[in-house]
Parts: sequence; C-alpha cells; structure tokens
Amino acid sequence: MTAMRPIPVQIPILPEVVAGLRVGDFLEISGQMYAGRDAVLPKIVAMSEEELAAKGIHLDGGVIFHTAVSVAGVGPTSSSKLEIEESIEPLSARGVRIHLGKGRLKADTMRALHVHGSLFAVTPPSTALLTDRILASEVAAFPELGMEALYRLRVDRIPAVVAILHGQSIFEQQAQRG
Amino acid sequence: MGISPEKIKEATAEALVRAGSSFTPGLRAAYARALELETNERSLWAMRQFLENADVAERRTLPLCDDTGIPHIYLEVGEFAEFGGPHLGAVSEGIAEGLRRLPGRPMAVLGDEVQRIEQSQGLSLYSEDVVPPAFSVKRISGHKVRITVMLLGGGPEIRAKTYRIFHKHRLETVLDEVAQWGIEAVRELGCTPAVVAVGLGRTHFEAVSLMLEAMALGDLEKQTPQEQQVTERINAEGSGPLGLGGRVSVLATLLNIGPQRASGVRIASVRTCCGIEPRRATVELG
Repeated sequence: MTAMRPIPVQIPILPEVVAGLRVGDFLEISGQMYAGRDAVLPKIVAMSEEELAAKGIHLDGGVIFHTAVSVAGVGPTSSSKLEIEESIEPLSARGVRIHLGKGRLKADTMRALHVHGSLFAVTPPSTALLTDRILASEVAAFPELGMEALYRLRVDRIPAVVAILHGQSIFEQQAQRG
Repeated sequence: MGISPEKIKEATAEALVRAGSSFTPGLRAAYARALELETNERSLWAMRQFLENADVAERRTLPLCDDTGIPHIYLEVGEFAEFGGPHLGAVSEGIAEGLRRLPGRPMAVLGDEVQRIEQSQGLSLYSEDVVPPAFSVKRISGHKVRITVMLLGGGPEIRAKTYRIFHKHRLETVLDEVAQWGIEAVRELGCTPAVVAVGLGRTHFEAVSLMLEAMALGDLEKQTPQEQQVTERINAEGSGPLGLGGRVSVLATLLNIGPQRASGVRIASVRTCCGIEPRRATVELG
C-alpha cells in the first residue's frame, strides 16, 4: 500500500504513468474523459476505429467513467453489471487506461486489465461534491439513449482509488485478510 | 376540518427533495460511530467523502447521488383522519413535483411492456415520469397522517434477496442466514458502508413490505442485540467502505419481524442499502 497524497493524473494517460501506479494509490484525474454505462458501452465496443474517429472519439490513453449523465449529476454505477464489465477488456485493448466505477470485478477482467496495461479505479458516489469538478459535458455518441448516451466530460481532479492493477486487486487483498 | 390535497402535495414534494438531498440525523450519527471505529485510512477517506458529499448536497439542495432512486411511499393514516382518493392523488402529484425540483434523474423507460423490458424506445426526458409503485399504507391511532418518502437506488436492488429460510426453531439460524446474505451483498455492492434492512414474514410480499417498513421507520441510533449481531457478523468479514477494507462494511441493521406462519419456514427479505440510504423524509399533517 502507498501514500495518502493524491497523485495527479492527466488525460490522455501514457502507459508509463499506469506502470508507475500501485493498488491503493489515490488519484485525482483531470482532462477529458468519457462517461457511459450498460446501454452505450457495447455499442462503442462494436464501432470501428474509423467510426469512432468520425465522431471525434479517441480512446487511446483515455478514461471511461461508468456513469449516467443527467440533470441529477454524475456518480459511479456498478461496474460489475454484465454489459459494463464485458466492455472493459475490448476497450482496454483499444487504449482505455482507466475504467472508473465501483464494486468488485471478476478474475477474468482483472487478468484482461493486466494484459492491456490498464487499471480499474473506484470513486465514492459523491454526486454533490463532483458538481463543481465537471467543467463541461456534451454528448459524444448515441444521443437517443438520453442519460445513457456516451458523454464527453471535461473534469478537474476527480478523486479515485486504484482498485485493480498489475494483476492485483484491493478486493482480493481484503478477502484474504478477512 | 380535513387536510387539503394541496397541502399534501406540497408536503410530499418537500419531503422528496429532503430525502434526496440530505442525511437523516440517524445516518449522520451512524457515520460518526463508524469513523471512531475505523482505522483503515482509505476507508476513513471514503466515509468522509460520503459525509462531505452530504454536507454539500444539503447546503446547496443537490442530489446526494445521481441515481436519485425510485420513489416509494409509506403512509401512516390516523384512524380518525379523513384521507381518500383525492389525497392519494395529491401524494402522487407531490412526488412528481419533488422530482422536478430535486431534480430527479430522468430514467423512466418508454414504450409498451415488451419495449420497456428491452429498453428499445429510449427514456423519457422528464424526471417526473419516474412513477412510484403502489403505496404502503398502515393505520395508526389518532387524526394525523404521516407521509414517508423513500428513494431507492439501483445498486442495492441488484443485491437484494427475498427467499425462504428453514429456521429449525432458532432465531440464530435465521440471523446467521441473513448475515450470510448480507456478507455476499456487501462484497459486491460498491457503495458501502451499507445499512441492512431486513423483513421477516410469512410470504414474499409480507417480507418485502416489512423490509420497506424497516427502511421507513427503523432507528439507526437504537440497535437491538439482534441487529447488532447481524452488523457485527458482516463487519467481521473486513470488506470495508467501497470494498477498500476496514472494520465498517455495515453502519447498522434495521430488523423488522412480523407475524409468522406455523411452519418450519420463514420468509426473509434483505436489502443492503447503499451508504446514502435509507434516503427518507417524513412529514406529519393534520
């Protein structure tokens, strides 16, 4: 386990930045991230690089926040929901470096993150606190999905804790201690 | 003179906004106890985030969580109160008004039965289209009417469980099983520390009704030995807030035991409420 001081992380994230992080690290993530969940992530996975580029979506070095975006704000949904968890491997393969959500993930997902040099981080459901840290938001794709569309968010210092990285999981560490 | 529907509408709307944007004193007290118990620095950080978020939400009247939940209503109607169809309609109107003000997340699914299941016709743009299920109603003594608005988030619904328990004529057997369900739910929930709401009844409907009543009326500051037992069993697993490890996975348990059937079976409903729940507020009229 590592220090309490938050580590600033700027998007796009270089592979060496992820390589230098450890499970349990506190992060503050800034820059332009994407927000999506059950309804839209399988659609993003199914799109070609050309189709993504045509919509100005660039996943390499990116962050996907598992959240809806609505007038109520943003906040993590359960990343273990089937369609969300299934998106983690293919999106990591396309360069997404941080998947941000909440809850435990399967061992297969943990391995896939390791293979692709990506990490899973958790953030508390702090919708009111995050209000001032979402600087801008716009629909990036599939507007017909409403709050479940893919959104592009410009964020400032979103707090998170690294939960799964380098084949290690903070959840498994707790289970072993328990 | 009876209570006017207009007054009921406004009171319900106000209660919904309060439920969605503030912690109850009981929940704050439960967090204060948890902060004293916890030693894991990441878990302390997580719980302080929950509290700081609640402070900001209350001060600025913002939603505690972007999942503003499905409104549920628990009504207590005095035996001498005049309360009928127009008043029930006013409660529904109050919910819609509260969702507009909060604002609630526009997550009503459009379409017919099949389209709603398949979510193929998109979502309503309007917060107030998130309608509540049938209200729970209980008769109380006197003339007053109490309306409790609860907002139930989606995460706990994935992990909630209603099922039978063979009790072997021992309460311990039932509490052991309930705690085991709680352990499994807390591991997966994500938004912990949780409050475990439990209903024990004769049918699935009754068990769920009792569980909802526990969420509506349960006292987080007065824990029975049985409630403490469930809490301590789950906390001993060490899952901790957000699953980051620590001593506090569960803040408290709300156990509601109803009538029982002459049988070897009890029906239990267990909902591990997330760390901002029970999101509830009560107004009393009359």
